[in-house]
Amino acid sequence: MKIDPELCVSCGECLIYCPLGAIRLNDVAEVDQEMCVECGDCIRTGVCPTDAFIYEAQPWPRSVREAFSNPLAEHKETRVPGRGTEEMKTNDVRGLYGRGIIGVGVELGRPGVSCNFHDVETVTMALAKAGMKFARDNPVTANMDNVTTGKMNPEILDERVMSAIVEGTVPIGKLAAAIKAVKEAAANIDTVFSLEFIDRPEADRSVPMEKILKEQGIACYPNGKFNLGLGRPLVQ
Amino acid sequence: MTHTLHRYGRVDTLNDDLVFLSMSAKGFANEKGSAEKMKKTLEIARKHNPVNMGDMKTGNLLEMSIDEIMRKVTDTSIVHAVFANIEAAAAFAKEVKEAKLGISLVVSAPFDRAWKVADMAGCMGHTIEYSGGIWGRTEKLPAPEVLEFTTMCGHGMISRYLVEDVIRRVKAGKTNVVDGAREIGKQCCCGIYNPDRSEKLLKALAAKK
Repeated sequence: MKIDPELCVSCGECLIYCPLGAIRLNDVAEVDQEMCVECGDCIRTGVCPTDAFIYEAQPWPRSVREAFSNPLAEHKETRVPGRGTEEMKTNDVRGLYGRGIIGVGVELGRPGVSCNFHDVETVTMALAKAGMKFARDNPVTANMDNVTTGKMNPEILDERVMSAIVEGTVPIGKLAAAIKAVKEAAANIDTVFSLEFIDRPEADRSVPMEKILKEQGIACYPNGKFNLGLGRPLVQ
Repeated sequence: MTHTLHRYGRVDTLNDDLVFLSMSAKGFANEKGSAEKMKKTLEIARKHNPVNMGDMKTGNLLEMSIDEIMRKVTDTSIVHAVFANIEAAAAFAKEVKEAKLGISLVVSAPFDRAWKVADMAGCMGHTIEYSGGIWGRTEKLPAPEVLEFTTMCGHGMISRYLVEDVIRRVKAGKTNVVDGAREIGKQCCCGIYNPDRSEKLLKALAAKK
C-alpha cells in the first residue's frame, strides 16, 4: 500500500487504523514498506478524506504479503479465504483428525504482531524433525521447498505477513515431541505464535490429547472450537 | 484456518460470546449448491437476534445489510453469526439441524457452553480444537485489556492503536460505549466480532480509574 503525497492532507486520521502501526506522519503520511503486509485494512476503513491510499497488486515475491494478510483474498491453492485450511471446521465430512491422529497448528505472528518467513521456517523445520506431516492444502506448505525438512522457498523468506499458519498432523504418540520442538523454536524467533490442537472427544466426552497437553505444560484456554457434526456425509 | 479460535479474556467475559461458522467441504459432495444452504443458515440466524453476522468473502453486519451479505454468498463462502446468549445460540443450532442442510456448523465458545449448545440442539460433539495460548516474544503484545478486543478478529484486522484510542475517548466521555464498540468492529470484515461483548468491556474499563 502507498499514499499519494499529492493527495495526502497530513491530517493523521489514518495512523491508528493500521494494525501494525506502519503508517508514519512526516510532511505527509507514508507507509513503511517493510512493515506493511498489504492487508488492505487502511483502505477498507474509508477513513482517508481525500482517498489518498493507492492499492496496487504486488509482483512476486511481495505478492505473498496480501495472500497471507488480507482476509478477503482467497489462496489459489486452497480456494479457502483466509490463511489456512478448513482444518476441523469440516472434519465431520473430511475425517482428517481424531482416533489417534492429532491436528497441530502454529500460527506465527498472531495475535496482531506479524512475522516473516525466516520465523516460519524456524518452526516448520523444528516440527518436521519431530515427525509432523504438513497439511497438503495449506498455503505455508505450498510455499515450502521441501515438505520433508520444512525448508521454505528462499525467495519469500524476507516477506512480512500478518500471520502464517503451519498446519499438520502427528500421531498421538509423537505429540509430546512436537510440543517440545515448538517450545524450543519459540526461543529462536522474533515474533509470537498462537498454538492449537485438534482431536475428537470420546463417547464419555473425554479428549485423549488433554493428558499429554497437561504433561507438556500447555495451559489451554477455557474456550475453543467445537464442530457440531452436521456436515454430510458424516464421518463417524 | 482458525479465525474464531484464540479469543482472549476471562471466562466470565466469554460466556456470552458464542460464534458460529458454517461452510461446505471443498471437493466433497456437500460443496455443490452449498451457497443456498449457507444463505439458509444466515436466514435462520437472523430470526434469533444475532449481534453480528457476515461472510468471510464479503463483510459484516456493522458495515452492510444482511441482504447484501446474503446476495454475495458463493459455494466457497464461510458464513458467520454471533450470539450474546446461550438460549438464542442453541435455538439457532437446533433449527439449523432440523433444516438438514448437510454443511458443517462450528461453534466457538467456552467448552462447557459449547457442550450445552450441543445438548440443547440435539447435536453431537464431533471434533474439538483447543487454543494452547501465545508463545514467543510476548513482550511485543499490547496490554491484556486491549487483546480482549483485538483477538475478536482472528485475522488481526482490529488495530491495537484504534482500540487504545477508543478506550481513551470512552474514558474521557468523548465517545459512548455503543459507538466505540461499533467503530472497533468495522475493522473485522468477516463478522465474528461481538459488539455486545465489546460494549461490556468498554463499560468496565470506563468505570476503572
